[in-house]
Amino acid sequence: MEKFLTECAQSIIDGNAEKSAELARMALDDKHPVLEVINKGFVKGIREVGRLWEEGAMFLPELVMGAEAMKEAMTVLQPVLEEDAAGKSAAGHVVIGTIEGDIHDIGKTLVATMLSANGFEITDLGADVPVVRFVDEAVEKGAGCIAISALLTTTMSGQKKVIEELESRSVRDKISVMVGGAPCNDDWAKEIGADGYAGNAVAAVQLAKRLTGA
Amino acid sequence: MDPVIQKDFNIAIEPREVKRLLGYGEESGREPRERFEEVLVEAIERAGKLVSPAGIYVDASGGDLPGSTVFDGLERVAYCVCTIGPELEGEVSRLSGGDELLRAVVLDAAGSVAAETVAEYMDRSIQDMAAAEGLKTSCRASPGYGDWDIREQRALFELVPAGRIGVRLSESAMMIPRKSVSFAIHIDEHPARMRSENSCRNCDRTDCTYRLLE
Repeated sequence: MEKFLTECAQSIIDGNAEKSAELARMALDDKHPVLEVINKGFVKGIREVGRLWEEGAMFLPELVMGAEAMKEAMTVLQPVLEEDAAGKSAAGHVVIGTIEGDIHDIGKTLVATMLSANGFEITDLGADVPVVRFVDEAVEKGAGCIAISALLTTTMSGQKKVIEELESRSVRDKISVMVGGAPCNDDWAKEIGADGYAGNAVAAVQLAKRLTGA
Repeated sequence: MDPVIQKDFNIAIEPREVKRLLGYGEESGREPRERFEEVLVEAIERAGKLVSPAGIYVDASGGDLPGSTVFDGLERVAYCVCTIGPELEGEVSRLSGGDELLRAVVLDAAGSVAAETVAEYMDRSIQDMAAAEGLKTSCRASPGYGDWDIREQRALFELVPAGRIGVRLSESAMMIPRKSVSFAIHIDEHPARMRSENSCRNCDRTDCTYRLLE
């Protein structure tokens, strides 16, 4: 079993989506405990990918390959997990999008993919998302966190408006807010009363975990 | 003076530049994985078919920029907007929305390199025009870099009829298509050192992927 779990982790580190999907199917065929395969195998792999990327030992394409391999494995395992009802949104639900007026979406999609690979349930609203829609969706889905991307100095004020909208609906204490995008930083997050800033997709995973207690 | 329009010129997308944008700089000393190389070759080929290079510039003076003082006192300044057109970014959105994030990320980087290459082409074209009159040109300066405020993008678009090459500004002053570049160049016997030309040197984001410093 130990060897199998190591292979699972390695397939993610190698960014080998064919291999990770094959291992996931093998896990089901051989009736390995699914949660253990995920947590001690694949999740270990995606964590290592994040670590290597932070160290500068991996670059963006490899990070994406790792996340894609994770996604393939989880596509195989998720239906079984849901049957068990044990692993549903283990890490919490994040509503994510790029703020209105801004149509940059690839960085946001990368964050969404990494969050998903790390066990978060994701509602990706896309780009050019109106302020009220972030709040509507988060309230409707019961999400614990909203992640807002802004790539322009002219649109980042929209991040503040989302927080004001949460406050005006008296749900700010239930929903944490994280911000990201080229013009943002820690000071900006503090200034607008956000719960944190993440400068990249790996930092976003760590921040989301901290905010949701996952 | 009437605007000068250049269209349908060929550009070559340098694989080395695309790799650099994605982190594989020469200094990193790391070779990308085989699968990335395949995706890279495919992305550059695909990008070549999706770009429609076009540029427009107006040969004017420093004082002609409406409501701006940034180039005051400069007798001749060329103001330029250029683009690779909207098709490539449409394809990037399609890919990232369809679980093809790696292809999307690499194609997006190829598009950024293509846009920069179009800007270099227009830059050379302005240099040639100046050289024919025995004049020289400064480096390029762009709104939002150094001390040229991004809000002056609107002034530049008032002066340059960029709609004629299909580029417009959104309400939030973002260029659409996104893979577009706007800049100014001083033309003179002794061109000024543009205040924003060393934008990377003046920037405190020392860990920026795009940082260009020797």
